[in-house]
Amino acid sequence: MTTTAFTVRADRALADPQLKLAIERTTGTARTKRAAAVAAWPEFAAARMLGKDIKDHVIAHLGHYLAEFERNALASGAKVHWARNAREACDIVVSICRDAGARSVTRAKSMLGEEIGLPHALADAGIERVETDLAEHIIQLAGDPPSHIVWPALHKTREQVGELFRAHHRDPGAMATVEAMVASARRHLRGRFMAADVGISGANFLIADSGAVCTVTNEGNAELTTTPPRVHIVTAGIEKLVPSTAHAMSLLRLLVRSATGAELTQYTTFHRGPKRAGDPDGPSEFHIVLVDNGRTRMLTDGLADMLRCLRCGACLNHCVVFRQIGGHAYGGTYPGPMGAVLTPVLDGLPLSQDLPRACTLNGQCQEVCPVAIPLPTLLRGWRDRSWREGLEPVSVRGFLGIWRFLVLHPALYRLATAAALPAMRLFGRGGWIGWMPLAGGWTRHRDLPQPSGRSFMAQTRNRKPSA
Amino acid sequence: MSSAAADAPRVGLFVTCLVDSIRPSIGFAAIALLEAAGCRVDIPRRQTCCGQPALNSGDRDGAASIAQHTIALLEPYDHVVVPSGSCAATIRVHYPELFEPGTAWHARAVSVANRTYELLSYLSDIRRWVPEGVGMAAIATYHDSCSGLRELGIEAQPRRLLAGVAGLSLRKLEGSDTCCGFGGTFCVKYPAISNAIVEEKAAHIEAAGADILLGGDLGCLMNMAGKLHRQGSRVRAYHAAEVLAGMAGGPAIGG
Amino acid sequence: MSGARNEILAAAGGASTDPAAIAAAAARLLDRVPGLRPDRVSGRPADAFLLRASSPAMGATAERVASLADFPAAVRRYLAAWTLAPALALQPHPALRALDWTGIEIHEAIGLDEPVAAGLALGGIAETGSLVFHSGPDAPTLFGFLPVHHIVAVEADRIWPWLEDYAAAFAPASQPRNVNLITGASGTTDIEGALVRGAHGPGHLHIVLVDPDPAPPHPDFPATTIAKSI
Repeated sequence: MTTTAFTVRADRALADPQLKLAIERTTGTARTKRAAAVAAWPEFAAARMLGKDIKDHVIAHLGHYLAEFERNALASGAKVHWARNAREACDIVVSICRDAGARSVTRAKSMLGEEIGLPHALADAGIERVETDLAEHIIQLAGDPPSHIVWPALHKTREQVGELFRAHHRDPGAMATVEAMVASARRHLRGRFMAADVGISGANFLIADSGAVCTVTNEGNAELTTTPPRVHIVTAGIEKLVPSTAHAMSLLRLLVRSATGAELTQYTTFHRGPKRAGDPDGPSEFHIVLVDNGRTRMLTDGLADMLRCLRCGACLNHCVVFRQIGGHAYGGTYPGPMGAVLTPVLDGLPLSQDLPRACTLNGQCQEVCPVAIPLPTLLRGWRDRSWREGLEPVSVRGFLGIWRFLVLHPALYRLATAAALPAMRLFGRGGWIGWMPLAGGWTRHRDLPQPSGRSFMAQTRNRKPSA
Repeated sequence: MSSAAADAPRVGLFVTCLVDSIRPSIGFAAIALLEAAGCRVDIPRRQTCCGQPALNSGDRDGAASIAQHTIALLEPYDHVVVPSGSCAATIRVHYPELFEPGTAWHARAVSVANRTYELLSYLSDIRRWVPEGVGMAAIATYHDSCSGLRELGIEAQPRRLLAGVAGLSLRKLEGSDTCCGFGGTFCVKYPAISNAIVEEKAAHIEAAGADILLGGDLGCLMNMAGKLHRQGSRVRAYHAAEVLAGMAGGPAIGG
Repeated sequence: MSGARNEILAAAGGASTDPAAIAAAAARLLDRVPGLRPDRVSGRPADAFLLRASSPAMGATAERVASLADFPAAVRRYLAAWTLAPALALQPHPALRALDWTGIEIHEAIGLDEPVAAGLALGGIAETGSLVFHSGPDAPTLFGFLPVHHIVAVEADRIWPWLEDYAAAFAPASQPRNVNLITGASGTTDIEGALVRGAHGPGHLHIVLVDPDPAPPHPDFPATTIAKSI
């Protein structure tokens, strides 16, 4: 038990009853709806394996599909940019904005945008950023980072959202209901859509054979973000590729049900190039920024399975740890089980070594993952690496070293047990130990059963095998 | 109960380090149940711990050396039975992962893994055993420990066995397939998070309206029982094997 | 810039050694699809579409008319049911312009908070109850997003059974700038997971299936209904 930046953040989260309430309201609904959607689809397990195989196929031929996508995107009139890392990606976006003379950009929710730090990069460049997704709007007003990959403002209760809107909206009206809050945000953002010079969005799928970018949204803000401005920029991780629209359909069925329990998002959009001759609306320039940022390294670092991730958020909603501490405690762009695998890639293991450890390895994340990512195995991989690189605290290494020595020497192990059990019994009362040296981590919150007597091995020392 | 048939399997009982030191009665219940199910039971004398703390801490070399020690002492048996889903899964699922395929140790790990079972699923699936003449007048609720549930597929077996205990009624536990927050080393490395999880679990257990909490893993049971006791709950916890062996008359976990 | 491109392509690996083999493997994956889709489409695609489109989860309403010429009357009934002013933005589609809109003020420029827009979808997808829009001179993208009420006609013989059937209908090179599969009214669950309609897009979607040859009325779905959406 050591105090780290992570445990400090986790403790702060645990001390916040509002946060717990907010997390449970959203993830509880999500779990119920997902369970119903899966129950209504008897072939879900087989469909999940197909989803896995589609993504694995693309990952095995990533270079091929990237080249095919680029070719077809260029043919549609798109401009394609390549970024090795977050900085290159932000530089490309900022430079497109500058070339467009942009003063104001609208943005539809994109976790990749958060990953590469685009909000900061735009601020540093003096470009006004208007977040148009309702949740992103909420956290922009609050000055918070996202706390969930599907519901970035999951950490806010309706009461807190109401207060924020009252403070920031021009025409808030009564904030008695969630409906009133949504209406207020609609009024507040309406004019901003048309005033923007550039619209920025993300990608759920990149369709290799057409060069199209597929996004899935529910609010309608994405089209209002990407259609009116003169320039539309898509930032996309290179793992988002699929061979064709038909392949995307199989993954859409899995993604949407796993995220919200719906069969399909309200708006499933395929963007393909800039405005064409005769089109009444649409951007004159369409840019796609393909971002690596650690993804090709994952191919060789034993993390290729993680490149299947569809960013549905099911693993977060079902994680007992996430449900207690929420997203901010993780300290990275991506929280929960998928975040605990990705954050060490993005931020380095020394800064994020707590994340793979702060997991009970209960396996529910893998069970609900729509593309069967073996998250516990990947988290174990980070723990192995953490041990190899000597990041595990010295106290833990020391304790485990002594323990391992005893485990490998049964006679000494018996002696140690024989000495320890009576000592433990000294601290017990009525069968329970309420406090004991070296057991503070346990006894601070719960009682420890007192050993009932001599060890099993001692009691059976003279037992003969049953005949 | 020494009337095992000549073709009775020789079972090596791996009791686990927690049962060995904290609650030996689970080990005795396991012996009684295995003998009742027609097995010849032996207790390998050099057994200690399956090595989970090393495995889950990323100490693969340490875990591999413990696995070698354990594999060597379990190899002589027809079957290895463990009264814990997570320790059984360590041997059955994770030991083979610790060795390079193609090596002698990998082959030995696979061989032992294929013969290793969690106690309740072994009794039900392999021995087709059903309890006879066992009774306990109580209302119980059951928590599925995660390793057993997801790594070994243990869900129906304990319920099937407990249904044969006269007088015992089983109530559904909301979130019975959700982790209790124990997680081995997790609960001491991140005690505050673990506590928040087990608090929720304890609330569900109380809400089930049962007298006793049953499960198949002592670690999880200690976590839940310890929280319930700290909160002043009247719910008592037993390993399911103790109930099935008719040995739940004594003090519950923690007394 | 090309440095980044080449570096990423090299690191990504799997470059095209045998494109035909990769394409064949990709096609084989799709062979598995028909056996594992959710059981949503049986009977006539248009009937299945109408059922899905009007299911409560969709947040939309739907009705059936015999011919496109009946569309203005359906729109009038809708406006009356909602006590909306008889004015709307009409999608600039020749087939819609040719209809008799007597009694309704029609304009083709759409406003930021346009109360009502009427449009014609390219088609629909039975599996999900989705409307398909392809952007083009007669189909501005914003028509699907700016109005408060969106009333959409779709022809029964243009309903594809499954998502894949729609995908197969358009070769990659023939796809428009913008495809929108619209599945119900705009909604958000961003505040505490509670579903609220009309976040930024239309809060109300009314679908008018133009079906000259309807199957006998479905017990769950009378031939003509106008229900107020939530």
